[in-house]
Amino acid sequence: MTRKPQTVTLLLSVLLILSLLISACSSSSDSGGNTGSSDPAASNDGAAAPSSANGKEMELTVAFIGLGNMNEVALVQDEISKITKEKINATVKLMPIDIGAWAQQVNLLLAGNEPLDLLVTSSFLNFSSQVAKGQLLPIDELVEEHAPTIKETMELAIFHATKVGGKSYGVPSVRDTAADHGFVARKDLMDKYGLTFDNVKTYADLDPIFQKIKENEPGMYPLVQRSQTNGIAAEIVRGYIDTLGDTPGILIIENQDLKVVNLYEQQMYKDALQLARKWYEAGYIMPDAATTQESNNSLVKAGKGFSYLSNLKPGFEAQEKNVNGYEMVAARFVDPISTSDSGTGFMMSIPKNTQDPDRAAQLLNLLYTDRDIVNLIANGIEGKHYVDAGNGLIKAPEGGSNYVFNQWQVGNNALAKVWEGNAPDIWEQMKAFNKSSTFSKALGFSFDSSPVKTEVAAVANVNNQYKAGLESGTIDPAKLEEFISKLKAAGLDKILAEKQKQLDQWAKDNNVQ
Amino acid sequence: MAQTGWTPFFKKLRRYRALFLMMVPGIVYLVINNYLPMFGVVIAFKDINYAKGILGSDWVGFKNFEYLFKTADAYIITRNTILYNGSFIILNTVTAIAIAILLNEVRNKLSARFYQSVILLPFLISMVIVGYLVLSMLSAESGYLNLNLLPLLGIEPISWYFEPKYWPYILTIVQLWKSAGYLCVIFLAAIIGIDHEYYEAATIDGATKWQQIRAITVPLIAPTITIMTLLAIGRIFYSDFGLFYQVPLNSGPLQPVTDVIDTYVYRGLMTLGDIGMSSAAGLYQSLVGFILVLLSNFIVSRRNKENALF
Amino acid sequence: MKTNDMNQPVVHAIFIILVALCLFPFVLLIMSSITEESAIVSNGYSFWPSEFSLEAYSYLWMQKAAMFNSYGITVLITVVGTFVGLLISALLAYPLSRRDLPLRGMLSFLVFFTLLFNGGLVPTYLIYTEVFQMKNTLMSLIIPGLLTNGFFILLIRTFFANSIPVQIIESAYIDGASEFKIFYRIVLPLSLPILATIGLMLTINYWNDWFNGLIYITEPRLFSIQNLLNRMLVNIQFLQQNNLGNQQMAVNPPMNSVRMAMAVIGILPLILIYPFFQNYFVKGLTIGAVKG
Repeated sequence: MTRKPQTVTLLLSVLLILSLLISACSSSSDSGGNTGSSDPAASNDGAAAPSSANGKEMELTVAFIGLGNMNEVALVQDEISKITKEKINATVKLMPIDIGAWAQQVNLLLAGNEPLDLLVTSSFLNFSSQVAKGQLLPIDELVEEHAPTIKETMELAIFHATKVGGKSYGVPSVRDTAADHGFVARKDLMDKYGLTFDNVKTYADLDPIFQKIKENEPGMYPLVQRSQTNGIAAEIVRGYIDTLGDTPGILIIENQDLKVVNLYEQQMYKDALQLARKWYEAGYIMPDAATTQESNNSLVKAGKGFSYLSNLKPGFEAQEKNVNGYEMVAARFVDPISTSDSGTGFMMSIPKNTQDPDRAAQLLNLLYTDRDIVNLIANGIEGKHYVDAGNGLIKAPEGGSNYVFNQWQVGNNALAKVWEGNAPDIWEQMKAFNKSSTFSKALGFSFDSSPVKTEVAAVANVNNQYKAGLESGTIDPAKLEEFISKLKAAGLDKILAEKQKQLDQWAKDNNVQ
Repeated sequence: MAQTGWTPFFKKLRRYRALFLMMVPGIVYLVINNYLPMFGVVIAFKDINYAKGILGSDWVGFKNFEYLFKTADAYIITRNTILYNGSFIILNTVTAIAIAILLNEVRNKLSARFYQSVILLPFLISMVIVGYLVLSMLSAESGYLNLNLLPLLGIEPISWYFEPKYWPYILTIVQLWKSAGYLCVIFLAAIIGIDHEYYEAATIDGATKWQQIRAITVPLIAPTITIMTLLAIGRIFYSDFGLFYQVPLNSGPLQPVTDVIDTYVYRGLMTLGDIGMSSAAGLYQSLVGFILVLLSNFIVSRRNKENALF
Repeated sequence: MKTNDMNQPVVHAIFIILVALCLFPFVLLIMSSITEESAIVSNGYSFWPSEFSLEAYSYLWMQKAAMFNSYGITVLITVVGTFVGLLISALLAYPLSRRDLPLRGMLSFLVFFTLLFNGGLVPTYLIYTEVFQMKNTLMSLIIPGLLTNGFFILLIRTFFANSIPVQIIESAYIDGASEFKIFYRIVLPLSLPILATIGLMLTINYWNDWFNGLIYITEPRLFSIQNLLNRMLVNIQFLQQNNLGNQQMAVNPPMNSVRMAMAVIGILPLILIYPFFQNYFVKGLTIGAVKG
């Protein structure tokens, strides 16, 4: 029968696979071991020679979050490649990864050896654990050599904010790195009832406005939440604290010190809970605020919500008008701050998978300095994905575009053309705004939670049980005591101590007093 | 089987070589898809650093397991997991067998096909969507129960997502609704496979329908019942994540009755992203299931060798 | 064939209740998908919307090219996967069902063990991508789901062992039929009920699978329909919750109704082909009955 040879080949292939597997594992651990243990300067030696000449043409893969419409990403990629081929003798492969697939795919990409030369990273997307697991390369020398001017595109403090253990692992994108905080409401209703912000200096002063809406607009809630995790009380305190990665181990910004305290034991937090509770009991907040799946925008759009609390930035009202379909007005209660994750919010990093760290750094440089490349990646191809709107502004072409990118995450956005509806000098404003902010003392510190992971897992569970309920006013603030004692039982104090320890060490390394 | 030495054994292998050949593709598949990746079990005992590679990372002993046992929640999540899954096994099996037997009794072929299709429908809808459908029933303001049903009965509206006491029932009902159809189809296949002569003989002997079900149907599908139950026991520490996370909308106050091992692990990993800890949880769940299955399989094989899994 | 039947009206009455229970949320699903978004936000889902709207479907229609491509991918992997998976499963299950097979206990255990232990995502991914180079291939959508683990094999084995009389197999062997011939000519025709059932399960699994696409596929042209829908859904959700409000993305998709419309689009074709499956199923039964 013809079956026999088949079994033999099958058996052979199994053996082959096994041996491949073993060799793959051992080789990856070998090569990996070198980069991990040897210092980066030494490993650069071999690569430095070809880098200056850029002898062989290569393809660099850039992964970023693919929000919006990426149908014609290939066209944009070809245009960018034309420029990069000339400048650094490399073509570019743009790899948008959907946000829904991001965590899985990036984790797996970095576990394997697939080519990946530049990667968007974020403190909200496991940056510190990627560094701790050796998945990203330190980039200080690379940036110094190939991209010395990047640091001039942003606040120096932000540029240095990506350091872990004294080494940088990413370059922040140029965007609104600072945030001020306040209140956003529908302008038409404010006008209709003659409401103004004249006597409104702080959150507690909003009462009369809510009352007016409650009395006159049945079926509408005066105050809605942005999401389950952005509870009313959390929004109120956010402008005053640096969360150092996660609550409740925080710094109080105005103290300008490096003392980690428990947010939930601060008077400020207790007051915020009381205020939220008061509003909740007065019927200003939805009864199911703690579990609703509706966002503030859809609630406002549907005429079910009047206002919300939020972090703000220059041009925020214009942005919200687009989303809500109503003209919005904002009251700003807290001056802009820059906190520990202002820099690490969105960065570009060079992963360990890169085929050539030098070439990757050169491309990184172009993303911050080359106006054409930035414009291509941010807005697409002129005439196809956007058209001139006069006044130096641009707008979407008739019939929409098949390339819509999300500007904030990659490169120097200030170089990209500005969209209609924004102030033409929006980036000047943004720069001044960023500069004017109060900088947290801990700017640039990232907390590595792996030494206390058992406690972090337990605390996450307790948090989930109480936080949304308390901060939306749904649960009586009297439960705060119970919440805190459960957190302590789950090992909160150990996390706080670890955070303080890491912060002290960080301050020592970076000469922060 | 090898009691008389090796020669007869090899002879036997020759006699059965065709059967062994048939198994080759399947076995090769299982080796590649299931056995090769099992080297990954070591991850549960390591502090993974990709710069060092999976095998080269540092050993950390049982540190990755600690969060499953050391905290105050360990008891609650273990209790919830076992109680829910235990009752699901019993309820699902009984309901699915009952429906399957009934379905087999429908004489009109067209209706039978229609019923069977419809019963399988809930299984096709993803848990996320089921979560939204449940919300449309239970929502505090716009849900059916609060808006239409409870006023009819003169009951005050209930904040369903803040009242833990109702949720063991809600989850059980949703679960049964969603998965009974699937199980039912499996049992139906077994029932259809039963030789009709048994029933004809029984009818001639004057057995009632109920007697036939007890004396013929159930005993003859017992192997399928056993196997389904054993497999469910093997997975008793795993829960349907969507059911326990999406359906209660991850509501905090409900957590004491909706938290199971999988949701707990998920919450921890959302903040940590540590594959060592997820491997540890998986290994723990598998190991408990494995021991329970070995035990129940042993009991089954004492009673009836043929019904045992192996 | 004479058996005393159950009281048919009672049986039908029970099933009508069951059917209502199963259909009722489904009707809600369809109605919600054609409800005006703001009506959902203010009044919740309802069986008879206060305002109808096809906005959700027209939003999805904007993606029609990608959508039809994804349907193609899904149909292809479902057909190939179900056929090959069923074949491999039956081939492995049959010998295991034979009580006279040497090493039967050990081999059954080997199959069963895969149900409980797995290496986890990362090692599996590394094997498929680094050893077999299956990233961004159709294979990566088909292979991992063929057997998944030993579950179906154990089910088929149990059916073979209990519903196919050993005497038939033995007499065929004595008559000189080869094992393959016995399998093909006797065992398969006799076990159509279980094969149709497992075939249906495999079809459902392949049709509804989004996870393999999530981890192995980054090329949009290889997205299966569930994959595409799932990604669209998460993207909209992320945009809404994170308030990024890019100027260019003034389109604010009707989240609630789109979600429901996606669910409808995702399962409707499966429901439509289900009767054909059943047809096959019933035909198989009559053949089985004649032979038995």
